[in-house]
Amino acid sequence: MTDAVATDTRIGLATEGLRKSFGGVTAVDGASVQFHHGKVNALIGPNGSGKTTFFNCVTGMIKPDAGRATYLGDDITGKASHKIARAGIGRSFQLCRVFPRMTVMENMLVAVRSTGLRHLARPARSDADVDRARELLARVGIDHLERSEARDISYGQQKLLELAGVLMGDPETIMLDEPAGGVNPALIDRIATLVRDLNAEGKTFLIVEHNMDLVMSLSDHVVVFDRGRQICEGPPSVVQSDPRVLEAYLGI
Amino acid sequence: MRSVSRAVGLLVLAVAVLAFPSLAPDPFILSVGVVIMSYAVLATSWNFVGGFTGYISLGHASYSGLGAYATALLVIHTSLNPWVAMLLGGLVVAALAVPIGIASLRVRGASFVIVSIAMVLILLLVFQSWGEFTGGSNGLRVPRPFDESVLRPEQHERFFYLHAALLAVALLAWWAIDRSRFGTGLKAIREDEDKAQSLGVPTFNYKLTAFVISAFFTALGGGLYALWFGFLDPIFQFSILVGSYMVLMSLLGGIRSLFGPLLGAVIVGYAVEFFKNQYGDTQFHLVAMGLLLGLVVLFMPDGIIPALSSLLNRFRPQAASIREVSAGDLAEQRRTASAATSTDDESTDRLSEGAQR
Repeated sequence: MTDAVATDTRIGLATEGLRKSFGGVTAVDGASVQFHHGKVNALIGPNGSGKTTFFNCVTGMIKPDAGRATYLGDDITGKASHKIARAGIGRSFQLCRVFPRMTVMENMLVAVRSTGLRHLARPARSDADVDRARELLARVGIDHLERSEARDISYGQQKLLELAGVLMGDPETIMLDEPAGGVNPALIDRIATLVRDLNAEGKTFLIVEHNMDLVMSLSDHVVVFDRGRQICEGPPSVVQSDPRVLEAYLGI
Repeated sequence: MRSVSRAVGLLVLAVAVLAFPSLAPDPFILSVGVVIMSYAVLATSWNFVGGFTGYISLGHASYSGLGAYATALLVIHTSLNPWVAMLLGGLVVAALAVPIGIASLRVRGASFVIVSIAMVLILLLVFQSWGEFTGGSNGLRVPRPFDESVLRPEQHERFFYLHAALLAVALLAWWAIDRSRFGTGLKAIREDEDKAQSLGVPTFNYKLTAFVISAFFTALGGGLYALWFGFLDPIFQFSILVGSYMVLMSLLGGIRSLFGPLLGAVIVGYAVEFFKNQYGDTQFHLVAMGLLLGLVVLFMPDGIIPALSSLLNRFRPQAASIREVSAGDLAEQRRTASAATSTDDESTDRLSEGAQR
């Protein structure tokens, strides 16, 4: 089984010796990781193991001190985050971030690709974009909230809005930072179904998550972090029983 | 319905502005009208940066002052037509705003505010010290664009309409940006700049563009003022107070609204002139302004226009947070539910989300 996966694996996002320190704390310490393109990848590890910092380094939110990040072979190290977004990597944030004083529909329209000056002058509400936004909102199940301001909808709905907003940019790879954090079990199911469906349509996922049931049921490939670097990788079944993982999590 | 009331509102506003000079009882009131219009131009121009991106510049007098001096110096030293000089002055300032913007938009929040104040103080010192070119603290007399035969009241009237025309252009530009993709990107920067960038918005270029547009209109406002007032002194041109007025007016009216800065300018401009007239020898008008700013921030943080419109919205039907389902839809759902069980999860989920609120 693992061999079969290995032979048709294409590497999407990858890093080599990625390093980032904040003062005396080295959050990411020479991480060399490879994620499988077209699959659902999970990045797990105990609190403070550097997962979110790794995310931020890869998506251009912060600049790494050393090392390299590549996407499908192209160097994306230290690129500005809007360029990485345009290269096809969309992301969500750990504590869900939406534009609070804009309506749900306006939130969606931010992610519309608009390169070049002639696009800038166009009305934001082109019919095609609005239709696409409605479609995606309906897909995550919040199309009835279109006119509400994002700050007025519930946390769970904001999470769905954030996901729909990321989808609006039509990224190939979607990075989700704790998609199940702080949401009710029914909503976790809905998010899991969405991830599965989107993956079946060809989207690659990279998910940081603490909910182990979700990680193990959803992902094809799991990378385990501890102290800022990869300690283990493989399919969920292999990772689950790895002694290094148990040690990192439980300190045994 | 909404668009009709908006059109009527616009019409009333336009008529009020156009009729003001003939309604004004004396030239003094007319000149106050010109001052208020000038403030309205400056505040609306400021709002291209402040309203869209949320970057609060307290030093926007830099651009009105530069525009004023650029216009005046061009009129004095070249044989250019004053109106061409004013436009050229605006373009020069817009070009200067590019490097200034590149330097100052790298920092956010309080740091940006401080950089903008530093800018206006630097310009004040430069224009005071460089006397042979700028006239220094003695001031600079600006030749009038109209013939000697045009008397004061007539001058005021012409400049009132000129300011109104410039204001209309600035408002039109703001409106066009507001509904464009560019505007959506700028507003996203105001809400959460990093998030906007992560969605692919080239945030730096966006805010720089807004900054340059703002500087351009502010400079035109300064240039027009220079041609009207006819005398420039660095201490009044590069004054933090003028920049603060732009901020106060915009905040008071509402920085998210097209007409917010205009409304704020009418209220604050009138108040300033009133207090100056009544208590001219004291600094009481400053105390009153400070008090007004405090009240606005405490009780109407979004400004008058949003406060009023949210009051009106209370009388409108409320949007439902839970999807509204008709009896027919419900029957259809029940039918499909018997076929597939997943619909069941969906509805309980919606209920729980509703309960969370």
